[in-house]
Amino acid sequence: MDTKWIIIFLSISVLVIFTVVPMLYLIFRSCVVEGVVDFSTYRDVYRNSVNWTAFINTFYISIIVTFLSVVISFPLAWLVGRTNLPGKYFFRTTFITSYMIPPYVGAIAWTQLLSPNAGYLNEWLVHIFALSTAPFNIYSMGGLIWCLTIFHSPFAFITISRALEKMDPSLEEASRIAGASPLRTLWKVTLPLMFPSILAGGVLVFIGVGSAFGIPAIIGMPGQIEVLTTRIVTYVYMGTGKGIRDATALAVSLMISANLILYVSTMLLSRKDYVTIGGKSTRPVLVELGFWKWPLTFLISLYGLVAIILPIGSIIVTSMIKSLSRPITIDNLTIANWLTAIGNQQYMDPLWNSFLAASITATCATGIALFIAYLLVKTGVSGRSIPDGLATLGGATPSIVIALALIITFSGEFGLNLYSTMTILIVGYMVKYLTMAVRTIAASLNQIHSSLEEAALNSGASWLQSLRDIMLPLIGPSIVAGWFLVFMPSFYELTMSIILYGSGTKTIGVLLYELQTYADPQDASVLAVIILVIILVSNVILRKVSKGAIGI
Amino acid sequence: MAEVKINSVTKLFGDVKAVDDFSIVIRDGEFVSILGPSGCGKTTMLRMIAGFERADAGEIYIGSDLVSSAVRKLFIPPEKRKIGMVFQSYAVWPHMSVFDNVAYPLKIKQLSKRDIKEKTNTVLEMVHLGGYSQRLPSQLSGGQQQRVALARALVAEPDLLLLDEPLSNLDAKLRESMRFELKELQKKLNVTVIYVTHDQSEAMAMSDRIVVMNSGRIQQIGFPMEIYDTPVNRIIAEFIGLVNIIDAHVRQGQVTIPDLGLNLPAQQDFEGKAVVEIRPEHITLSRDQTANIQGIIIHKFYLGDSIDWRIQVNDIVVRVIDRSSSFKEYTIGDKVGLQIQNILLFPA
Repeated sequence: MDTKWIIIFLSISVLVIFTVVPMLYLIFRSCVVEGVVDFSTYRDVYRNSVNWTAFINTFYISIIVTFLSVVISFPLAWLVGRTNLPGKYFFRTTFITSYMIPPYVGAIAWTQLLSPNAGYLNEWLVHIFALSTAPFNIYSMGGLIWCLTIFHSPFAFITISRALEKMDPSLEEASRIAGASPLRTLWKVTLPLMFPSILAGGVLVFIGVGSAFGIPAIIGMPGQIEVLTTRIVTYVYMGTGKGIRDATALAVSLMISANLILYVSTMLLSRKDYVTIGGKSTRPVLVELGFWKWPLTFLISLYGLVAIILPIGSIIVTSMIKSLSRPITIDNLTIANWLTAIGNQQYMDPLWNSFLAASITATCATGIALFIAYLLVKTGVSGRSIPDGLATLGGATPSIVIALALIITFSGEFGLNLYSTMTILIVGYMVKYLTMAVRTIAASLNQIHSSLEEAALNSGASWLQSLRDIMLPLIGPSIVAGWFLVFMPSFYELTMSIILYGSGTKTIGVLLYELQTYADPQDASVLAVIILVIILVSNVILRKVSKGAIGI
Repeated sequence: MAEVKINSVTKLFGDVKAVDDFSIVIRDGEFVSILGPSGCGKTTMLRMIAGFERADAGEIYIGSDLVSSAVRKLFIPPEKRKIGMVFQSYAVWPHMSVFDNVAYPLKIKQLSKRDIKEKTNTVLEMVHLGGYSQRLPSQLSGGQQQRVALARALVAEPDLLLLDEPLSNLDAKLRESMRFELKELQKKLNVTVIYVTHDQSEAMAMSDRIVVMNSGRIQQIGFPMEIYDTPVNRIIAEFIGLVNIIDAHVRQGQVTIPDLGLNLPAQQDFEGKAVVEIRPEHITLSRDQTANIQGIIIHKFYLGDSIDWRIQVNDIVVRVIDRSSSFKEYTIGDKVGLQIQNILLFPA
């Protein structure tokens, strides 16, 4: 049989075994007990008011955060993309930076800033305004929503920004010529046309928030606020059969909710057929902000400061403090903590584990993604979009659901026991992040005319030779970009790792979570700084390689 | 021997017959064009010969090798056929130099470095790109890229050369000079050529024989003169060159053309409704008041080397392209006599 098809078939098999089978088995286990369809697990689980509240909380929080994210992101995207706001590049970079920070690191930073008694920001505000008590408590619903909004709104910002960039400026120009003011144009033309991408961005945020674990665990739980993900992890940690069953019921609820939302939004989006992408690459006429320029610049800078610079600063400062009981002054800062951490085996092992797991995941994912993307873009076989669809499904499924599904499928049930091995971590990461590589490589393949490959075949090259000599050099940058786009989130991943890790495979995310939860915030901060540096470096490489096309 | 035999090849896309029962024998060293409007199936047929599409029925021989047979379930993949192909978009690889692009087929064949260098440079000289071997495609003009594509197609000395509308992206002057160069090259190398185009003057100028296609079917195969002077049906007559289309009627061996007031013996043996097609250049004008057909000039267009007249004859407008008369000879409103040299008759 053709080499090409063998390889493609193998790639798809891997995908099916590790994505479809576990998901289906999870659903199966949640509603089939001893061979009989039985929904009693669901009944029992939701009869417990903590769980029911968690379910409501998840939805409530997701809706509010999505709303806030969109309300913040759209104006920001418009201001940065369509007006004469100064410092565009700086603002754009700042807002997207929060996407780069692992959410749990952000949560840790905010506990340092706004913990009710000792938070830096609280202390500063008490001092400045001579208050009797600290004004903010991060361990509250408000705090949780605040933190989630800051770290998930970039998804909406990026989606909306990109769509705005691609939108044909002449649509808005026609409105201006017809006599409409910039604001009216924004309201009557831009906003309606942007609706699909706003919806898309909103869905990304909604699902991301519903699936989040790090921030709810670090900020919500101490405030007695639980969501589905935290309940699932708690149940898994019980270690009992019943615990797993209860977790399964909750996980399936989460999964079905997420898929439903995705499905509905896809239906809605496919109906609205706005062809707004302009063919000519003309730059849009920028809206003059006039009187509003400096007030808006000030406001946005304030947001940037509070949302991003403050937390990062807090982490760095905490990591360098000699003694927490003394105030923050230069002589209370040292880099000795960093040096101790680097020399500490207990910290370096998980760092190495994460690095290794993420690298292997990225490499395998890129390889599989190449063939899935090739199948999708370059062949006319019916069903060619199925593997891509499966990868996308994996990406849209809440991480906790993937992890749980993998646990119950691969703990010996089918002869394969991967529990607590590095393999299961890699499999989990790959299921979740494969789609990043597929999207990137597919986009690049799309731009290569089929005649380039045909000319190679015509010159006598086999399919593999053509792949090696012609395709790979031309899509090389996107392959490297895909590698990094899988590496980064896998590296700092927490939600899956926290229930999949074993004694020898603790990852950096898990370590950080433990340090924070068992009150060693300083060491947590040191590690957080190390993680941030690694991600920053990865991102710089990513930008270089893709010539600025991908990355922040 | 690079004779090409195509036997009753058919290609289906769903229910549509993109190519329907295509058969031809192309002789060694012959230059054959497949000519037709967009969507007629010519590129699909070419791609089947190259191996990028599979025939649903029929067989293809290149030389003595059977490369495709639907009934025997035989299909030789494109990389194993000894064909050179020039793609419409040239498909010159942007990440390789001119030399590496052209040398690629030889590298695949694993020839020695010295042989590769020699053959590549020879063929580059042949297409007049001798000093360009280290340039990148982005540094070349469209015409130069096309020569690179041509050189690459020829470097492995193929038995058959396929060209898919190679000149359509070039400007008019360049197109003309390339036609001449391609033809010279082909004669020198004595390679069999199958050339796909929608440009009929190109096909006529370059080909030994032309295959006219429409809606997947071969309409006619013949020498350029045959296709032009004696097209076998309306489709060909109307696709190649210009025609005046006039209603007519055939009864008992006589064709009646009411709009021209003519009644002539018919050389076709069908009865009933018909059309008569007359090429504008087969009509001459004169001041002869006794000519059978009389008309009034209603428009004249000066084209430089000829004049495009519109003549009102009874209820129809007849187009005449006359090289012999001058622009000032007649004015709008003049009465003229029309003399017709050649009439094509087809069923309606």
